Amino acid sequence: MDVSMLTVALLACPLVFSLIMAALPKTTSYNVFAGLNTISVAATLVLSVVTAGTMLSSGQNIDALGLWLHLDSLSSIFVLLVGIIGFITGVYSISYIKIDIEEKTMPAERTKQYYALFSLFVFTMLLACLSNNIILTWAAVEATTLSTVFLVGIYKNKQALEASWKYAMVCTAGVAFGLFGTLLIYANAADIMPNAHEAAFLTSIMPYADQFDPMLVRLAFAFIVIGFGTKAGLFPMHTWLPDAHSQAPSPVSALLSGVLLKCAMLVIMRFYGFTIQAVGAEYPQLLLLIVGTLSILVAALSMFRQDDLKRRFAYSSVENVGVIALCLGIGGPLGIAAALLHCVFHGFTKTLAFCVSGNIQHAFGTRSLAKIQGVVEVAPATAALAILALLGLAAFPPFGMFISEFLTFVAGVTAGPMWLVVVVALGLTVAISALTRIALKSVFGHAPQGMGKHEAPALMLIPEIILAVMILWFGIATPLPLVHGVETATGIVLEQSTEELHATPMYRAVFGTETAQSEVE
Amino acid sequence: MGYSLVNILAGLLIVTSTMVVVSKTIPSAIKWYAIQSVVLVGVLLTLGLTTGATELLMWAASAFVTKVILVPFILNRAYKKMGSPADSTLTSSIKPAWTIILTGLEVAVCFAVVTRLSLPTAEVATPALAISFAHFFVGLTCIISQRNILKQIFGYCLMENGSHVTLALLAPTAPEIIEIGIATDAIFAVIIMSAVVVRIWNDTKSLDSHDLTELKG
Repeated sequence: MDVSMLTVALLACPLVFSLIMAALPKTTSYNVFAGLNTISVAATLVLSVVTAGTMLSSGQNIDALGLWLHLDSLSSIFVLLVGIIGFITGVYSISYIKIDIEEKTMPAERTKQYYALFSLFVFTMLLACLSNNIILTWAAVEATTLSTVFLVGIYKNKQALEASWKYAMVCTAGVAFGLFGTLLIYANAADIMPNAHEAAFLTSIMPYADQFDPMLVRLAFAFIVIGFGTKAGLFPMHTWLPDAHSQAPSPVSALLSGVLLKCAMLVIMRFYGFTIQAVGAEYPQLLLLIVGTLSILVAALSMFRQDDLKRRFAYSSVENVGVIALCLGIGGPLGIAAALLHCVFHGFTKTLAFCVSGNIQHAFGTRSLAKIQGVVEVAPATAALAILALLGLAAFPPFGMFISEFLTFVAGVTAGPMWLVVVVALGLTVAISALTRIALKSVFGHAPQGMGKHEAPALMLIPEIILAVMILWFGIATPLPLVHGVETATGIVLEQSTEELHATPMYRAVFGTETAQSEVE
Repeated sequence: MGYSLVNILAGLLIVTSTMVVVSKTIPSAIKWYAIQSVVLVGVLLTLGLTTGATELLMWAASAFVTKVILVPFILNRAYKKMGSPADSTLTSSIKPAWTIILTGLEVAVCFAVVTRLSLPTAEVATPALAISFAHFFVGLTCIISQRNILKQIFGYCLMENGSHVTLALLAPTAPEIIEIGIATDAIFAVIIMSAVVVRIWNDTKSLDSHDLTELKG
């Protein structure tokens, strides 16, 4: 089959399965829904690896449905993120949701809703990554909200309803700003391009970037950062995130935090590259530097105040999205490469963290850190995985996030200003201590009296073990195709050569990319 | 002549938006939103006839179906489903007089921004473009100031109407598929938000956003 058709098949796969599940009666057995969703995410995984793998290995961009879908190195990275984490969380869901239903925290009649929306959510994220039409991209990001509102509020309690309302309202209104920014770009493009019918396609717009009205582009980019930044969880538009991530079932929290936030950042990156071409780097960098730094500082301080384990992880997501925005704000090839690597490494690490929080919640029946003590005694395998997740999130070596944060600092020190690097370092130190407290006070210590062993089933532990191995693998020996893909994607964002990366001693020290490049070639 | 009429209709848009925001009851807000949508259809028709863009005539037809009929129907249905709850106690945190002043300020700021844009439309329909921009902030003001969560949905609808007019003014020949995409997403957004409001009402018998403050910090 043609690779373009495979790209369409990749997109169609989770949508078709979602529709099939939606068509089944509510009374259908749990195993049928879980089985269909597993086939859906497994097929999506295979198709994403084949299409993105083909693109990355050949270096040839793939267009499908005319100009509507576009797969390049940049989108390939995010498509793989959706495919792999979608599969892992899909498998994790099988036992997790079954336990929720058995314990009556989730009504059994909502099984259909959960699994149909899960596959639909995967579809909307893939569409956001693959769309080359800027209006369709907005519609896809909006659809990610609409498909997840009822996933966030799937538990039958007031707090879940509150979270789903805030999520729907804040994100829908926020992303409307993104639409406004997108329309401004589109309208100007239709005005200056010889073929106005191609004015909505980003790849067609890019060559005309320097002919856009600078004032309008600045205005549009500000709206885009507000709009898609709301979805990404950047300060001060992040208010929905701690509520939604803490109230959603853990596999959904993992998918929201590990992938969705990154998809929104991908959209910002695309417009960031365009804005640089249109008005220069100074304005978009300054804007992202400000929101990135504030996100890190506010989230780090907020993490400390949280007694809810998942809320603490949610604020950690705000902090890490802030790191990605900061990297874009620092700019240059090193900043962009660090941002992309952080998207990938944080995606996997946070997925592990949220899945582990699901194990702990099932074992202790609460998310309150004041009540969770001695996980190591109650669920030793979960405790080991929790320690790995927490060390990974704290960006300790040899985990993947150590590399991306290290490169962030190298980029920051190289580009300056130095005081900002120091402030960010302080913020990250606060975040590390908030994570360390979870390890010291909750994972270790003595379990409440009379509490027996309560380990998670194998079907929940195996996906987590895979994630733990991956975040270690990324840190110890970052896969060469990933490094190569990140370098090419950096070139796409900046529309310039990334040779500067190889000239940076620290980057060479981390990846030894001269060897990496020649091996890939 | 055509653009003058567009500017006059845009003036009516901001008046009807203000009426949506200051309405004391949901049925009244629904009525004003439907009236605003009729005005919006008028803007699209006038622009279509002025610019000769046949796409805008199609937009006018689809806007009539989605905004004049569907959205008010969905909101009214949600309201009736909850048993038409009395909501007179859920007043806005901003008094009507201040809402009008704030709306005026929002239009003025947007006017100042629009005059700095070098776009052909910005030269002939500055007031209309400024008002379409201002709808974003009017909508946002509605969301932030209203205690009634069903009323907050109108804020989103106003923002969406603003983007609709902006698109029509700046890109009148945009393919119909783009307009359909935006309108479809907006309809789904209203359906889903209304459904969540109904769920909240069924569980708590309240539409007060102040009752949704358990999740903090």
